[in-house]
Amino acid sequence: MADVVLKNVQKSFGRVKIIHGVDLDIRDGEFVVFVGPSGCGKSTLLRLIAGLEDITAGELFIDGERVNDLVPAKRGIAMVFQSYALYPHMNVYDNMAFGLELAKSSKAQIDAKVREAARMLQIDNLLDRKPRQLSGGQRQRVAIGRAIVRDPKVFLFDEPLSNLDAALRVQTRIEIAKLHSDTRATMIYVTHDQVEAMTLADRIVVLNGGRIEQVGTPLDLYHRPANLFVAGFIGSPQMNLIACEVAGVGPDEVLVSLPSGGTLSVPVAPETLQPGEAVTLGVRPDHVRVSPQGSLTGRVELVEELGENHLLYVDMGQGRRLTIREPGDARHEAGSTIALEIDRTSCHLFKASGEALPSRAGSPRPAPSSPDLTRVA
Amino acid sequence: MIMSSAVAQAGVSAQHQARGRSSSLTRSRVRAAWLFIAPSLIVVTLIAGWPLARTIWFSFTDASLNDLSDYKFIGLENYLANYDGEWFGILIEPDWWHSVWNTLWFTVVSVSLETVLGIVVALILNAAFPGRGLMRAVILIPWAIPTIVSAKMWSWMLHDQFGVINDLLLRLGLIAAPVTWTANADTALWAAVMVDVWKHTSFMALLILAALQMLPQDIYEAAKVDGVSPVRVFFRVTLPLIKPALLVAVIFRSLDALRVFDLIYVLTSNSKDTASMSVYARQQLVDFQEVGLGSAASTLIFLIIALVVVITLAAGRVRLGEDPR
Repeated sequence: MADVVLKNVQKSFGRVKIIHGVDLDIRDGEFVVFVGPSGCGKSTLLRLIAGLEDITAGELFIDGERVNDLVPAKRGIAMVFQSYALYPHMNVYDNMAFGLELAKSSKAQIDAKVREAARMLQIDNLLDRKPRQLSGGQRQRVAIGRAIVRDPKVFLFDEPLSNLDAALRVQTRIEIAKLHSDTRATMIYVTHDQVEAMTLADRIVVLNGGRIEQVGTPLDLYHRPANLFVAGFIGSPQMNLIACEVAGVGPDEVLVSLPSGGTLSVPVAPETLQPGEAVTLGVRPDHVRVSPQGSLTGRVELVEELGENHLLYVDMGQGRRLTIREPGDARHEAGSTIALEIDRTSCHLFKASGEALPSRAGSPRPAPSSPDLTRVA
Repeated sequence: MIMSSAVAQAGVSAQHQARGRSSSLTRSRVRAAWLFIAPSLIVVTLIAGWPLARTIWFSFTDASLNDLSDYKFIGLENYLANYDGEWFGILIEPDWWHSVWNTLWFTVVSVSLETVLGIVVALILNAAFPGRGLMRAVILIPWAIPTIVSAKMWSWMLHDQFGVINDLLLRLGLIAAPVTWTANADTALWAAVMVDVWKHTSFMALLILAALQMLPQDIYEAAKVDGVSPVRVFFRVTLPLIKPALLVAVIFRSLDALRVFDLIYVLTSNSKDTASMSVYARQQLVDFQEVGLGSAASTLIFLIIALVVVITLAAGRVRLGEDPR
């Protein structure tokens, strides 16, 4: 159990800077997920915490102790690798016991620990098997078991589920969440999968190009993305981003003119925004509705049926496309023209710099029964 | 060696398939397999099988190099015969057994040294350092030089009067008087071992390096996180994982070392004290013109090598064809 504090941590490989000064405060017992596109530096950051890479500049504290110059084994961490990293010539028992044998614990203690972890992960019937005789899911459990027996202060997971099939991924995800609630250990988890990030994390750290874009709870990031990158990255299907121009500014709202004509009043603080400035309007697919009264029109390009809901990809003209998610089965066919309206209270507005303007819409989640739908003026 | 074991394996798997339910697809696959291995089978028979059979046949005759067409079958007399209560034949010949001892000693000592040094060199070459590519090429130079050339080179360097090694050791004050490295029976075999190690360590290192490069890197990171010491990682992780490749390398080198001829022949000429089995066989065959005896010695060499391979494989419990992972 420990907190992990990063102070202006930087990493360069030769002349290439991968991590540009990361400040982060991970609390004791917290489950933090690093998420971001490939090459954003999330795995490198985890390896810096693990001690598998040297920190170029900045400081790293685990449980209050500065660990920059400590070898991985002395940092009180355990790591689960994407590729499992099991010793191929050892059986499951030895794979889990190997790291303990030198920790001056007695044979009986090691045995008790290994069997306890194996029972917890339901691999106690596999202890004599070699890794090659196990399925992917079983191998991953052994890798997690090897981390558990070390009794670490901090668990590090490097994309542990990406080699598993979809069903197993969901199941293992639940088990990791359970492991966290059972042990209350600090966990740092790297993934590129935002569903894993949303479901597991107490807080998500969104990384891009070696910098932190935003840190927050999953719903924080979903409802109040700090910038365009987070807005586009969190949420599936992606948020619709529409380039607009400021038409007018009120004390608690900004009037934007849409590219297809018409204006929309967005309830955000205008800050220093001036009419004529370029902004980006962000609206999630769930906050656009097909409605006969809608003033926006478009032609349905593609319909994706997902059972509980469906996606409409609508061509708004001039190459602009809007994604809409509606409940139930689709009532429109590809090729048909539909009218749309946007839930203006759920809209986001981003300045030209990409930064979000603070919302003035009150509750971030309007009750679904009484949507505040304002037709485009 | 490689070819014949491949053929043996193919034969085994073909039998294996024929025993089970054999569909027409299986039969056609077996046919195709035989078709593919037929060329190598024929080549092996011609270039290895025929000379071997001929040598074994000659070992049961009194053939002489004067006239190879004029010989008669004498059974096992070349190996062992009893005339009037007195035993004759190679098997009671002290010179033969001395050459066997020399060869085995040479093999065990040189291959052991080459294995240990080869692992060390391979581990170094496997680490990342500037100029590694160049080092990997440079290390092959001793191996690329023909044995006869390196043997001659070393015999000059080890020369008791003009050799650079005596000169160096004298100047350093390590020896008081020049040593007759190759003429002295005590040092001659050691000299041969040294030259062999100098030449073949790179071969060993290269085979081991190939095995090292096949190892997954993530398990080393896992060991690092677990705090396993590098020495322990080497003995508990690296060594078991490269063992199959290591054994193949040891067997290759042992086969070569058991047949050692040119090195010892050039370095110590025809001295009985240092003769290897091959030197002994050549002496019977060429110097004494005794094709029968020479063939008997060659046949025994063949049997001894086969025995050593079987023992090595059994000791290493190498199941050929099994995936070590």
